[in-house]
Amino acid sequence: MIEITGLTVRFGGVTPLDGLTVTFDAGTCGLIGPNGAGKTTFFNVLSGFVRPVAGSVRAFGADLLAMPHYKRARWGLRRTFQTEQAIEELSVADNVALAHEHSRQGTRAKRSTDVLDALEFVGLEVGPDVKVGTLGARDRRLVEVARAVVGRPRVVLLDEPAAGLPDEETEHLGRVIRAIPEHTGALAVLVDHDMSLVSACCDTTVVLDFGKLIAAGPTAGVLRDENVVRAYLGTESVA
Amino acid sequence: MPSWQDFQPFIVAGLALGGVYALSGVGMVVLYRTTGVLNLAFGAVGAMGAFIAWSLINSLHWPSGIAYLVCVAFGAVVTLLYGVLFGPPLAGRDPLVKAAATLGLALILLGTMSWVWSDKARSMTLPTTDHGFEVGTVLINWTQIIALALGVLVTATTAVFLRRTGLGTAMRALANDREITAALGVPVRRVEAATWLVSGALAGVAGLLLSNLVGLDAATLTFLVISSLAATLIARLRSLVMTFVAGIVIGLVNAMVTPFFSISQYRDMAPFVLAIVALLFLSRHEQISFARRSE
Amino acid sequence: MRRLAITLALLLVVLLVLPPLLSSYWIDVLTAVAIYSVVALGLGLLMGRVGLVSLGQIAVLALGAWIAAKLDFATSIPFPVVLLLTGLITMVLGTLVGLPALRLSGLYLALITLMLAGAITVVLTATQFPNGGPGFLSHTESSFGSAAIRRPGIATSDPAYFRYTVIVAALMFALAWWHVRSRPGRAWAAIRQSEPAALAAGVNLTFYKLWAWALASFMTGVAGGLLASHVGKLYTIQFPTSDSITLLAVVLMGGIYSPWGAVVAGALMKLLPALLDSWGLPADLLIILFGVGVLQVLLTAPAGIAGQLPQDLARLGRAISGRVRRPPPTPQPPSPPARKGETVR
Repeated sequence: MIEITGLTVRFGGVTPLDGLTVTFDAGTCGLIGPNGAGKTTFFNVLSGFVRPVAGSVRAFGADLLAMPHYKRARWGLRRTFQTEQAIEELSVADNVALAHEHSRQGTRAKRSTDVLDALEFVGLEVGPDVKVGTLGARDRRLVEVARAVVGRPRVVLLDEPAAGLPDEETEHLGRVIRAIPEHTGALAVLVDHDMSLVSACCDTTVVLDFGKLIAAGPTAGVLRDENVVRAYLGTESVA
Repeated sequence: MPSWQDFQPFIVAGLALGGVYALSGVGMVVLYRTTGVLNLAFGAVGAMGAFIAWSLINSLHWPSGIAYLVCVAFGAVVTLLYGVLFGPPLAGRDPLVKAAATLGLALILLGTMSWVWSDKARSMTLPTTDHGFEVGTVLINWTQIIALALGVLVTATTAVFLRRTGLGTAMRALANDREITAALGVPVRRVEAATWLVSGALAGVAGLLLSNLVGLDAATLTFLVISSLAATLIARLRSLVMTFVAGIVIGLVNAMVTPFFSISQYRDMAPFVLAIVALLFLSRHEQISFARRSE
Repeated sequence: MRRLAITLALLLVVLLVLPPLLSSYWIDVLTAVAIYSVVALGLGLLMGRVGLVSLGQIAVLALGAWIAAKLDFATSIPFPVVLLLTGLITMVLGTLVGLPALRLSGLYLALITLMLAGAITVVLTATQFPNGGPGFLSHTESSFGSAAIRRPGIATSDPAYFRYTVIVAALMFALAWWHVRSRPGRAWAAIRQSEPAALAAGVNLTFYKLWAWALASFMTGVAGGLLASHVGKLYTIQFPTSDSITLLAVVLMGGIYSPWGAVVAGALMKLLPALLDSWGLPADLLIILFGVGVLQVLLTAPAGIAGQLPQDLARLGRAISGRVRRPPPTPQPPSPPARKGETVR
């Protein structure tokens, strides 16, 4: 469970997050909202790249904001980025192991089984020693997701993982994301604009607009909520 | 503790040198803000211009005035050529890469100077150095006055120019955002070319003055750019007024340590120490660089 | 494996075949090449692996030389220990400097190293180098009290010292190779490409940047120790500011991604000037060439000569054998993975 209380971020005259208070329960949660709603800023606060001026974040009882950023990953916070950030120079296995070897989660032997486990879970069929720079977009994205789920993650943040992927890859990714909580015991938060993906993966969804919470609850209900529709489409009613 | 009398000549020398650091610093800051290039070859350009002037005067017996003009023109033309040839292909790269490229230019100039003029001791005296006047017990020559005056003049003129003229505004726009400025219809290449030209001319002027105040030696003149650089860093490569003040302070501190015999040998550390302190002070808030691939 | 065999073979040739064939002048030059290759290796690691630029490595080299000379005159510690201590002390000093400095990045970091190098140079010009004189600075102006810095007992002659230097240099290269192949190397690869991604994976940026910095300082310090005993008498004129710029140029030209690049850099910096000199050509032309080289590398080939050559050779090889690259196989439906038994590094 992640509890956010009064989270506020302000810089340069903009307030991307404004007193955000919300709780993410177990499983896979969606986080949606129109462009500029503050979703990526929210992830950046969790990752530690942005410092909030007010508010707190407690995840599984731990005060996340009190930890320096690299320690959060060791604690179990993992993340994928909007533009995929698999390290081109390293092999598939080294990429995935990166999260593991800096988390002090066990011996080298355990590391290799965990890495292979993660690769199998995301359904990547490329050999573990292949250099990531030679792979295509879909495989690189899977490597990034594998890196996010290897070992024992506690919170997995996925920032528009399906961006730029064709439909069938998106479906595959959706199945993987949906299975994350069950496979790893972690809480997954998915940000995306693809509503069918969000519906397919997430039991509950949170909606932001202008840095504030405007809806939260079971996904199907949230997507029909008129506040949410208005935020996305304006005040005209849509049939 | 040396007396006030002992300090006076050093104050004068420091102010003069500081004036040159200031005008060099302004030249570098404006170029950096407009094009993103920190021209580390600034000193080398001025040095070579001074050498060319020396040869014109001493080997070809040209009139000094023309030779000085050639020096300034050389600075302007070489810098402009560099900017036109190497500016656009490197335009999108990291400032570090752009600055490193100017080191290539510096090496080319250093090698040329070393080859053509070798290490023989030379001196070049501007006619203004022979004339001066006394203030109290101190002798001030006109070169020193010119150096300080130019420092003030260049800073003030540039500040006004950037704010009041069309070209100046275009430069400030470019400093802000190159793409948007281009989209607005501003002739980006021409504005950049103008900036390179003026910055280069200032390099020539600085080289001429420094060859008088310090001496005509390729390595010394080239690496004096580091002191001007220190001034620009203290001003965060941003404020012209700060660059001026920092330049003067550096020149003064450097010179005024001289009468203290015990630490006099270390006086050249002044610009470096000041720059290091300024840089560390400015970096006290940790920053994560999203420079390469940001989301 | 094959590359390792070739490297060892070349090393043996250099150690055994070259010294008797060359005059003392060329042995002198090649010793310098070996020493400066180590310095280039340090800078190449910083630039190529972590993406940090230092414009002050020659000042660090001078510092290392000073420390080695001081240790030599103040104590009678055996030479290998002097080298090790020099490396370690330089490493500690480098780390102390790195702690605040590494908060800066890119251009500002390069500039602060330039400033630091300037400060070190001023201090060294004032204190000069130890040469057996009195006091902490161990310096004397008179030739009566001054002595040469000693060499290891087993390698006092120039050819023997050349071999010693090459072996120490090879050890430094091995040290660098080990780093790149293990955890720090992987962390550096992540940092160089994307600091946010590295952070998100739990990489402690400051720690690993500092590690690279410390390693480069250590290697440059050891090189300084080797240089001190090589020349015997140290003068500030041996460490001109322009050398730091030249070093940057040759490291860029040699190639920052490969250890061979460091060897090429060392050769560019110390062998080519001697060759030109022996042919009666001015060495100044080389400086101009290096300037052009910097521009060319930054404009076109970031991997430098050493990186370009293998690519060109490989392309040539493929053209000769007529092989064509096949597209990667289309994904098959999931099957039980046969790789469970494979070991992963």
